[in-house]
Amino acid sequence: MGEFLQFVFLGLSTGAVYAVLASSLVGVYAATGIVNFAQGSIALWAVWAVAALRADGTLVLPVGSVGLGSGPMDRVPAVAIGVASAVVWALLAHLLVFRPLRRAPVLGQVVASVGLMIFLQALVTLRFDTTSLQALPLLPAKVLTFAGAHVNVSDLVLAGAAVAVAALLWAYFRFTRPGIATRAGAEDERAARLMGLSPDRLAAVVWAITGGVCGLVAVLAAPTIGLDPTSYTFYVVPALAAALVGRLASIGLACAAGLLLGSFQTVILWLGTKSWWPGWAQAGLGDALPFVVVIVALFLLGGRIPSRGEVTETRLAAVTIPRLRPAPVALVLAAATAATLLTSGAWRFGVVTSAILTLLAMSLVLLTGYLGQISLATMAFAGTAGFALSKLTTSAHVPFPFSILISAMVATAVGVVVGIPALRIRGAQLAVVTLAAAIAVQSFVFSNPALTPFEGNLIRDPSLFGLSLAVRSGTDLTTARFALTVLVIVALLTLAVARLMAGATGRGFLAVRSNERAAAAAGINVAATKLLGFGLSAFLAGIGGCLIGYSRGQLSDASFTVLAGLTLLAMAYVGGITSVSGAIIAGLIGPLGVLYTFLTQTVEAGRYYQLIAAGGLLVTAVLNPLGLAGTTGHHARAWLSRRRRPPEAPPPGAAAPTGTEPAGTVPTSPEPSHAA
Amino acid sequence: MPPDPLFATDALTVRYGGVLANDRVTLTVDRGEIVGLIGPNGAGKTTLVDAVSGFAPATGAVTLAGRRLDGAGPHRRRAAGLARTWQAGELFTDLTVAQNLAVAIERPGWRTVVGDVFGRRRPDADGIQAALEMLGLGDAADRRPTELSLGQQKLVGVARALVGGTAMLLLDEPAAGLDTHESGQFGAELRRIAATGVGVLLIDHDMTLVLDVCDRVYVLDFGKVIASGPPAAIRDDPAVIAAYLGSAVAE
Ligand SMILES: Nc1ncnc2c1ncn2[C@@H]1O[C@H](COP(=O)(O)OP(=O)(O)O)[C@@H](O)[C@H]1O
Ligand SMILES: [Mg+2]
Repeated sequence: MGEFLQFVFLGLSTGAVYAVLASSLVGVYAATGIVNFAQGSIALWAVWAVAALRADGTLVLPVGSVGLGSGPMDRVPAVAIGVASAVVWALLAHLLVFRPLRRAPVLGQVVASVGLMIFLQALVTLRFDTTSLQALPLLPAKVLTFAGAHVNVSDLVLAGAAVAVAALLWAYFRFTRPGIATRAGAEDERAARLMGLSPDRLAAVVWAITGGVCGLVAVLAAPTIGLDPTSYTFYVVPALAAALVGRLASIGLACAAGLLLGSFQTVILWLGTKSWWPGWAQAGLGDALPFVVVIVALFLLGGRIPSRGEVTETRLAAVTIPRLRPAPVALVLAAATAATLLTSGAWRFGVVTSAILTLLAMSLVLLTGYLGQISLATMAFAGTAGFALSKLTTSAHVPFPFSILISAMVATAVGVVVGIPALRIRGAQLAVVTLAAAIAVQSFVFSNPALTPFEGNLIRDPSLFGLSLAVRSGTDLTTARFALTVLVIVALLTLAVARLMAGATGRGFLAVRSNERAAAAAGINVAATKLLGFGLSAFLAGIGGCLIGYSRGQLSDASFTVLAGLTLLAMAYVGGITSVSGAIIAGLIGPLGVLYTFLTQTVEAGRYYQLIAAGGLLVTAVLNPLGLAGTTGHHARAWLSRRRRPPEAPPPGAAAPTGTEPAGTVPTSPEPSHAA
Repeated sequence: MPPDPLFATDALTVRYGGVLANDRVTLTVDRGEIVGLIGPNGAGKTTLVDAVSGFAPATGAVTLAGRRLDGAGPHRRRAAGLARTWQAGELFTDLTVAQNLAVAIERPGWRTVVGDVFGRRRPDADGIQAALEMLGLGDAADRRPTELSLGQQKLVGVARALVGGTAMLLLDEPAAGLDTHESGQFGAELRRIAATGVGVLLIDHDMTLVLDVCDRVYVLDFGKVIASGPPAAIRDDPAVIAAYLGSAVAE
């Protein structure tokens, strides 16, 4: 019992971070209607800023740094400056990203906030000395003994701080004039203006407060939790889970759920050390927990989360239905073939990776662009197939191409399961579910030693009719045979998906995306269509994952990181998430693709890749909330229709010939089936 | 009345919180018959269409050609031949007018996936064009819904409800947004549709249209049917005049 309690208390410091992040997420949502995936990244910066200040008094800025005094800075001013840096980031996020996107489609907001999340994470990795900095102690190191458990005072202080922060935020929204106006303003901007308060300024206040408290609690918890260039970024996922328990509306519930989740995770770690605990569940279960919480919160606790804003006003990225003309298709294929054959080594690997990424981006175009379902789990689908491929080729000796097909089927099944929540929720909440699912898959499957051996998952090289299609041969890093195989597979599937998009399936997807009610009334089974979309998308991603696997020869948890998945979504959005050409652009600029190869091979700036990608996304998202291809497509259509239409359009009534068809040609079946 | 009507509701009841939006509504529509449904705003006309098409939780029976449809999902009711339009149009703005109709003919599923990838199938262009022409939208096929006038958008909604195997048509204020002349044309178009054997339930505030084109009319007030009968009788019914027509004339 004492030991159990000890672990409960041990989890309080992580729980406190979850709790404050969760309360802040609720606060930001109340003020702006935005689900801020970057909340953890903002805190991450503060943690590292304080570490740098306390190491040698250097104030690290996004560009350059300032020496504040000689030698380490005291704890109080260091923490104050660190917290201030989080406030500044939060305000910048509001002013430069989210305020301009106030009326943008949900997809634009989600993608921008994901972009900010990975931008700050990349910036931290670049700007701070992540190898030698440490989080020096801040809170008293005393230990109490309570019911046989040794309890760190710092853990109690942190939990107390989290509760205090939640109480403060709650009181702000409940009792202060600006707080009340903020809530009113989020529902009806005019109401706030009538109270004489600008909704923008009110939102800025909330951004500043939440940025500050998140920075503070993360800084205080860092000595216990440790310094890490990514962890706080992804703490937003358990925090989102906790916020969903509070239905994104209750700060108190969000805080309590956050604290509990933290404790529960350490208790699970403790249970994992017991002899009776199953081996397969020893690692990764704690990280999979947020997904379980999200599902429970959304499905069992019942009641829908009130969605913000006018549903009918939601605009979506414009769509151009692809028309496959032979000339451009042949041109692209020829260019890709030439790029494959004329390059070698790292460059050819970049081309191959870009081809694979194009396929992964197509899976997003289909699911997110066409069907309107925001999924952050694409890489998890790819990874699932990759790991299945490893098992199939090494243990079961399934030959290529059946190995790929079966693995992609496994991914399809996972995709359909992940798609089930989409039957009830949409928009940013669906993004949260899929992100939590991705993290659960990553930590429970890819990083689990019981399922993934220490040396990685080996994959047997493919061969067809005795012909080796292996990626490597002698000193050749990327064989032409393998590259062409990838190209053929990607080209065939891309063409198939383009036909799908241009056909009845694409029309049906677009109908569901634009109006689910009307789609159902037109006879579309909306639920089945969504699952079909998730399944198809996961199948494509699965094939992509297998190709990644074959191109690497082995897979580890680093092969399909959630971060790479988010970057891919970002790139798909930048390229234009509703078109085939957008997917090809995404492939070229995606992680480890041609742009990355250029950055590493030619200008030696590979480490800036993630920053450039995320920054590019932010700029694109803010300037073109409908996505690049969306905007250009829109302009092109407007221009075309201006040219096509005669200068003076005849009045529609006069132009329409009154139908004189005999009644018999009506395209309806006059009688329903009488079989029943 | 024949013993087996095409379409019937029996004691259809919808409750929204404390509001009885539909109170034991029982009505029938025959093959080829145009039946009007009128009543003041908030009477529950849209609710009836929602309940019948599977969008509002209701008790009571809905029957189409002898087949019970209550309890089935909206898409199943549509597949069974029961089609509706929406008061607010609700067209798919990403699709052209013709594609809006194509969606109702070929619904996505495994079959369309295989067909799209391997087949050379085109949507039933003739059927779509015929439906559009029937409603005077022949030259709008390749336009986007947003490029059309509100009245025309409504007509596209009607055309969309007409394709894909429709036996019974529920029209929620399809003529709102049409001028007098267009409304007259629409009446003629409705007659032609009904002449093919399709049953029509027409909700509209345009009394000239309703009384002119309908074979029978039901009057709804506070969720209850307060009168029904041929247009001539409805026009002179004192209860109807008190509840609705009086105010409609005054408008
Ligand atoms: N989704 C809903 N939720 C709650 N009440 C509703 C809903 N839809 C309609 N109502 C109520 O039901 C009654 C009937 O509305 P409606 O069917 O739209 O009337 P009509 O179409 O005849 O103007 C009204 O009192 C309306 O407020
Ligand atoms: Mg109505």
